[in-house]
Order: sequence, then structure tokens, then C-alpha cells
Amino acid sequence: MGWFVLAILFLLILLPLAAVILQVLLPGIFFGKLTVGDLSLLFEVFRRPLWLLSLKNSLLLGIGTTLFAALLGGALAMVRAKWSFPTARWLDVANWLLIITPSFILAQGWVMFASSGGIAAEWFGWGWFHSLVFNPLGLIAIMTLSKFPLAYLTVYAALEWKEKRLHDAARLNGGSAWAVLRTVDMPLLLPAYFSGALLIFMDTVGDFGMPASIAAVFRFPTLPYSIYTALYTSPIRFDMAGVLSFYLVLLIALAMGLQFYVLRKSRYDFLTARATRYEPQKPKRFAMLLTTGNLFFLAIVLGIPFGSNLLMSLSDSTTTSGIKGLTLQHYEQLFRNGGPLLESIQHSIGIASIAALVGVILGFLVAYVLTYSLFPYRQVIDVISLISFAVPGVVLGIGYIFIWNQAWLKSVGLLLYGTPWILVLAGIAGAIPITTRIMVGGMAKIPKTLLHAAQVQGAGGIQRMVSILFPLLRAAFLSSVLAAFGTTVFDLAITSILYPPNFITLPVSINKAFENLQFGYASAVTLTGGGLVILIILIVQLIFKENRFHGGRGME
Amino acid sequence: MINRSRNLFMLFALVLSLLFLTVGCGKNSSSEATPARSTGTGQSGQTTSLDGSTKDKPQSDEPLVVYLNDFDEMIKPLFEEATGYKLELVTGNGAEIMSRIEAEKGNPHWDVVWMDAMPSIHQLGKSGQLLEGWIPKNYENLTDFAKAFVPENHSYYPTGAHAAAVLVYNTKAFTRETAPKSWDDLTKPAFKGSLGMADPAVAAPAYPFVAWFFQNKGMDGGKAYFDALFKNGAKVYPKNPNVAKALTGGEIKVAALQESNAYTLKNQNEPVEIVWPEEGAPASVRVVAIQKQTKHLEAAKAFVEFLLDPKTQQKLIDQGEEAYFEPSAKGATPKKDRAGQAKLVVAEADWAAQHEAEIKQWFADQAVK
Repeated sequence: MGWFVLAILFLLILLPLAAVILQVLLPGIFFGKLTVGDLSLLFEVFRRPLWLLSLKNSLLLGIGTTLFAALLGGALAMVRAKWSFPTARWLDVANWLLIITPSFILAQGWVMFASSGGIAAEWFGWGWFHSLVFNPLGLIAIMTLSKFPLAYLTVYAALEWKEKRLHDAARLNGGSAWAVLRTVDMPLLLPAYFSGALLIFMDTVGDFGMPASIAAVFRFPTLPYSIYTALYTSPIRFDMAGVLSFYLVLLIALAMGLQFYVLRKSRYDFLTARATRYEPQKPKRFAMLLTTGNLFFLAIVLGIPFGSNLLMSLSDSTTTSGIKGLTLQHYEQLFRNGGPLLESIQHSIGIASIAALVGVILGFLVAYVLTYSLFPYRQVIDVISLISFAVPGVVLGIGYIFIWNQAWLKSVGLLLYGTPWILVLAGIAGAIPITTRIMVGGMAKIPKTLLHAAQVQGAGGIQRMVSILFPLLRAAFLSSVLAAFGTTVFDLAITSILYPPNFITLPVSINKAFENLQFGYASAVTLTGGGLVILIILIVQLIFKENRFHGGRGME
Repeated sequence: MINRSRNLFMLFALVLSLLFLTVGCGKNSSSEATPARSTGTGQSGQTTSLDGSTKDKPQSDEPLVVYLNDFDEMIKPLFEEATGYKLELVTGNGAEIMSRIEAEKGNPHWDVVWMDAMPSIHQLGKSGQLLEGWIPKNYENLTDFAKAFVPENHSYYPTGAHAAAVLVYNTKAFTRETAPKSWDDLTKPAFKGSLGMADPAVAAPAYPFVAWFFQNKGMDGGKAYFDALFKNGAKVYPKNPNVAKALTGGEIKVAALQESNAYTLKNQNEPVEIVWPEEGAPASVRVVAIQKQTKHLEAAKAFVEFLLDPKTQQKLIDQGEEAYFEPSAKGATPKKDRAGQAKLVVAEADWAAQHEAEIKQWFADQAVK
């Protein structure tokens, strides 16, 4: 299975990327010429002021956001898993909203709120808010408030089962609740925390939308932004984009190395036959505190970006220079021209559904190989499985054109470029890092011995998965398929470079509206499309939640 | 337990397959040039009236694929109705489209490109990717201003030109008297910290804007001019909509803004006024070109004729989103509220293409400092 997984990842992720990087070494190779490229480009990143600054900015933003967002997301997941309180469900909804919303939309919301003529200054008289947000620390804060759900998801998925005896033992020995958390829960959740942190790191250093939107107000170039300019500046420099992508991949490799180093020290597979499901408890004293805290938190993380977008979608003005009155014209326009828009929503949802389902199967297989097999190139698989998250979609998109647009593929019926299938493939590639990380986080606590025991009893590979892993990983499956679906629906970068003629997708139409100054219309499309996606996610969750209650009380 | 050598072999096989794939692409640059779909309607034979060139290529049922960055809402029905040919569009901003064309070089999927990126398309023509030497019937009807842009090898034709930037000021901050009147005014202390413009490394029309200064003043003169602007506190925004937003939001008070963006603000009753500098507004020229190996030559030619037709250009002006431009065909008239004496100046395409990388890099590094 190791080889199968490696081959799939190779084809979907590494090959397109390698194709772009190959341009650095052999610039003419895809056009029938063999020339040797200029390798000094590799070091140009330390010479050109813009690139050096981009690298530094990416590092700063990546590390800062990872640190804060992993702690925040993990802590929230633990609170949510431990206690039930009114409005707790809203926190889940908020997480999904933040995960599926394209970062450029979130950033636009923040910009609309905090820019000098924005809502904060105009409505609340908070002139100081501008300088609070538009500096490196402020950006890290915005990023943290947008990316923490990735840690929330991984940690929450890992909290599906617990070993109650470990808690009981700790409490019996006189440990306080805090001591149990510190010495039992936190250490056992370390792999989940790291999975989430790594996702956040990737997503942050690879994010293009946020720096691009913020750049309108505050200049903070990052690597993806510079890759974008290299790629989208005539004469087009695939080689430079390749070089800069190489540095992004290097950053991931370093982050993974760190994770590997930390996790190597101990074992995290702790579940036994006595594990019980986590059931949130009613807090005795501070339900009120949790509820108000939650509401306050949601008001910030959702209220600011989505509130600004909502206001924009309802306002009778296409710019931020003050609201001239409320109107439903943008929504009306949306349904009046409903044909093409509806079509783009259908396209995006269709592609995202296939990509999420295939992605979750592949993610499971990858995680299985990483966790349980003796495959010698596990590390290689680990790195490749994450690359597509960090490498900007535009770079991967161009790699996809190189690989899937070769004339000879037509004779074997595989000329996928120019058909919707190329978007499905790219969607799967984008989904793999998310599904894999969530699965790895979930599998880390399921010991091999469970599988070995079944094997000794004569259970085959498939039976072992179906009867042991699937039930134990149900939350992880659900989280990863929905997260993959949600992020693929709005993945702008890759669809904008790959979408076939007359096959517009939702993010492409949103972005076009933004580029044409139609902020109100763009916001209306975003909120409508996003609302629909959220609805789908909630329904799916509800269906599987139902099942969960019938699914038994534990492993006994 | 693990067979090391077998694993190494498998790894080797993977690397080999990579090489195989890439060598495969080296060989394909010739024949296949159409998308792998066949959703044709069989209509293409119906009309040949526009240029009568039915004999050029065998007729095809496949639609004509056009890459473009504007007018995508209206052009498809207009063209299909006028000619009977089927059209498929790929829309994107200028940079996205050029990236696609570049990446597809080995196996192009486009038949026609129509964009306001003359230097880039000029470069495509120079590298032999465009149909050369064909002269449309409507060529003679081009204005003298437009004819000047047609290259010697006739590889592309202009369909209009718009100001890549005009001067726009916030009327709350300046009056007609105190507002800047020429590009050189922007270096004056009166406008310190109040100017914004789009980034030539990102926004498509921003390059033709700065290129004109560099050609006009020489490379050093151009650098000195923009240096002076930066020293005067000029802010660079990624794209024109961002500049427009900063202007109405009050972050800046004067902008070098693309004209459709500028007039849109004015039509929305924002407190702005537009100034056409006497020395002229640097223009971005929208051109149309046919891909050399197109399988749909006849339809492609019909499309070019269609765009050069004054009736088509008038419709783009009357109904289009990017409606503010100077048409290239005699007989079409620009928007009435567009200034009567709108003077456009244009950097030479060949010069602009040659210096594009250098100027953009200088800008990108400059803006960081």
C-alpha cells in the first residue's frame, strides 16, 4: 500500500510541482527545447530586497500565527469537548464558517472594518483601531483569529475517545483538574496539537488572499505574494515562481522536522478497550461565564469580518466611503442574473464533493501508511502530503497544465486539462493535506496492538479497517470530509488558472466581482454561497451526529 | 523483512516515470491545438459573410475559444448572433490569461486572445505564436491613431485604447484651482502624502502607465520621476479598485486611476473630479490576435472582423462594463461624458515589451524600501 500511496501523491502533487521547479533547471523542457537554466536564481532570494523581505515576513507571520492559533484553537476544542453550555454549537458553526471562507474575503472584512475610513472609525469613532491592526503584530492577530479552527478541528477530532481510567487515577492521587489537564490530557493530545499547528503554519505561509487584501492598506509582502508577482508579471517567470516555491517547501520541511523531533520522544497511542466517548458535562458554576465568553469571542471572530461583509452586501454603495442607505439590490441582482451564478455554485459544489470524498479516502490511506506501516519512505510521503497546502495554488495550477496538457495524452483519453476533471484532480490534491492531518491526529492515539490482535484472530486488512479503525475514527472522518469540502468549494487560486472554458466556478465569479469594484455584489454572492455550503455541512453533521447516539457507548 | 533493494528499485522507477512524462511533452509542440471537447453545434458553416474566407481551413464543429479579460458578459451572445459561430470564453485578469497562454505553449487551447496587454501580446507575436500577415477587411476603417499600433507583421489589431491612468482628486480636499493639472504637479509639496497609484507589477493597466514615463523621460529620467513621487509619499496599491477605494475612503486625496474606474466613481456620485493632463494620459491598448496553429481559423478571422466593426465597438461603449475607451474603428463614438479633449499617449509596444521586466522589478524593489 505504501507504494500505491506514494505513486498517487507523486502524480497528484509532486509531479506538477516538480514540473514547475524543473523549469528552473531546464527552462525549455515543456516546449521541446533542452537548455540549462540559470541556477544563480536560487540565491537571488537573498539579494533582491523584495524577496528577502517576503521570506522574512512569511516566517514571522507563519511562526507567530502558528503559536497563537494552535493554542487558541486547541484550548477552545478542549473546553468545547469538556463542557456543554448554551451557544456551544455556535462555536462549531463559527469554526466551519472560518474554515470555508476564502481568506481574501475575511481579510476584506477586516479591512472594511479597520481601514482609516472604515466602520470602526466612522461608526464607533475608533480612529486608533487602524494602527492597532495594520502592523505585523496586528496581522498575526487577524491571522490567528482566522486560522485557529484548523487546530480546533484536529484537536476536537482527537478528543472523540478518552481513557477515563487515566483521569480517575490522576484524580484519585490528588491531582487537581488543572493538574489532570496539564499532565494527562495535554501530553496525550500533543500529536493532534502538532497536526493542527502544522496545518496552520502551512495555511499561513501559503496564504495569498490575506496578504493581497491587506496590501491595499498596509504593505506586507509575503512569499506567495511575490510568487504571484513573478508569475503574473510579463514576461512570465515560471522559473522564479519555482524558486520561491522551493523556499516554501523548505519551510514546511523545517516545520515537519521540528514536529518529528518533538514527537519522537514518547508514544501517543493510548486507547484501550476501556476507552469511552467524550461526553461534554454541564459545568457546575461557570456556565454563564462560558456562554458570555463564547459570545464575546464570536462577536470578534465572526462579527468583524462577516458583519462588515453583510453590511457591504446590504449597503447602497459600492465603496466603503460611508453607507448611503440599506438595500437588497445586490441580492436581487444575484437572483436576477441567477442563471450563471447558480451554475457556478453547482459546479463548485459538485467538484468539491467528489474531491472531498476521494480526498478523504486517500487521506485515510496516507495516514494509515504513516501511522501503522513499516514503509521505508514514510517521511517522503509525509512531506509530499503537505506540500499542496503550502505551495500557492497558482504554482500548482501551472504545474497541472504542464503535466496534464501534453498532446500525447489525448490519444489515451487523458487530456484532462480543459475539462472539469482537472479541477477535481486539483481539488483532491488540495484536500489531501487536510484530510491526512486530521486522520493522523486521530490515528496517533489508536495503538497498533489493537490491529495486531485482530490480525492474530484472522481478520484481513480490510476487515481490520472496517471493524476497528472506522468506528474509532468516525469524528475524524466527518471532520476531514467536511473540511475538505468546505475549503475546496472556495479555492480560488487553482480554479482561476485551471477552469475550462464556459465552466465558471463560484470563487472565480466572486473574485471577478471584487476586481470590478462590485463589493456589494461580491459580498452578497459570498454570503449566499457560504450560507449554502454551511447549510450542507450542518445537515451532514446532523445526520452523522444522529448515528453517533446509536453508535454505542464505548468500545466494550 | 524489508527488501531494501526492491524499494530502491521502485523509487528509481518513479523518478524514471517523471523523466518519461517530461520528455513526452517535449515532442508535442506541433499538431494538436484544440480542447478535448466537442460540443459543437454545426453552425459554423452557416455564415461566411464577414470576410468570405471559407476556403482557408476545413470547417469545424468545435467552438472558437477566446481568452479575454473584459466584456465577457456581452461578447458571446453578440458574436454568436452576428456570425453563427459558437464561442467559448476563458476570463481572467491580464496576468492570469498570460500565465495560461505561457503554460499552454506546448499545446495551446486558445484560438483568439483579446486583452489590453499590448506589450505582452506583441511579445507573443515576436516569438512566433500568432498568425501573421493576415489583413482584415475592416483594417482600412481603423482610425489613424489605431493604425499606428498595428505591427509590421500584422500579428494583432487594436480594438480600442483607454487611459491607464487619469488624474482623479477628492473634491473635499482640493478645488479645480488647487488640484493637480499635470503629471509633474504630483511631485510638488502641495500633494505630499496624498497620492496613490496601482502597482505595475500586479495591475494590468498600471504597466502601460509607468512605461510611457520611462520611454518619454529615458530609463534614468523615469526612475527619477517615480523616486520623486515616492519621496513625496506616494502610496502603491495592488490594483485600480484598491486605489479607488483608498481615494473615496480618504486614505489618499489624489489618484492616478484607470479611466473606467474613475468614471465609475463619478457616476456613483462620489466626491471626485477627473483631470485629463494636457501632456496626455498614458494609454493601455486593447488588441486582438489569432493563435498561429488555430484549427478554427475561419471563425477566428470572423471574430477579429467582428471586433473591428464600428457597430460592435459602439455596443461595447453603450453597454459594456469597461465602457470608457477610445474606439479603434471610424464611426464609433466614445461615451458622451468622457472628456472631449481626452488625449492618449502610448509607450511603443516593442520598447515597452523589452523593458517590462526591468521596470517592473525596479518598481517592486522600490516599493519595499
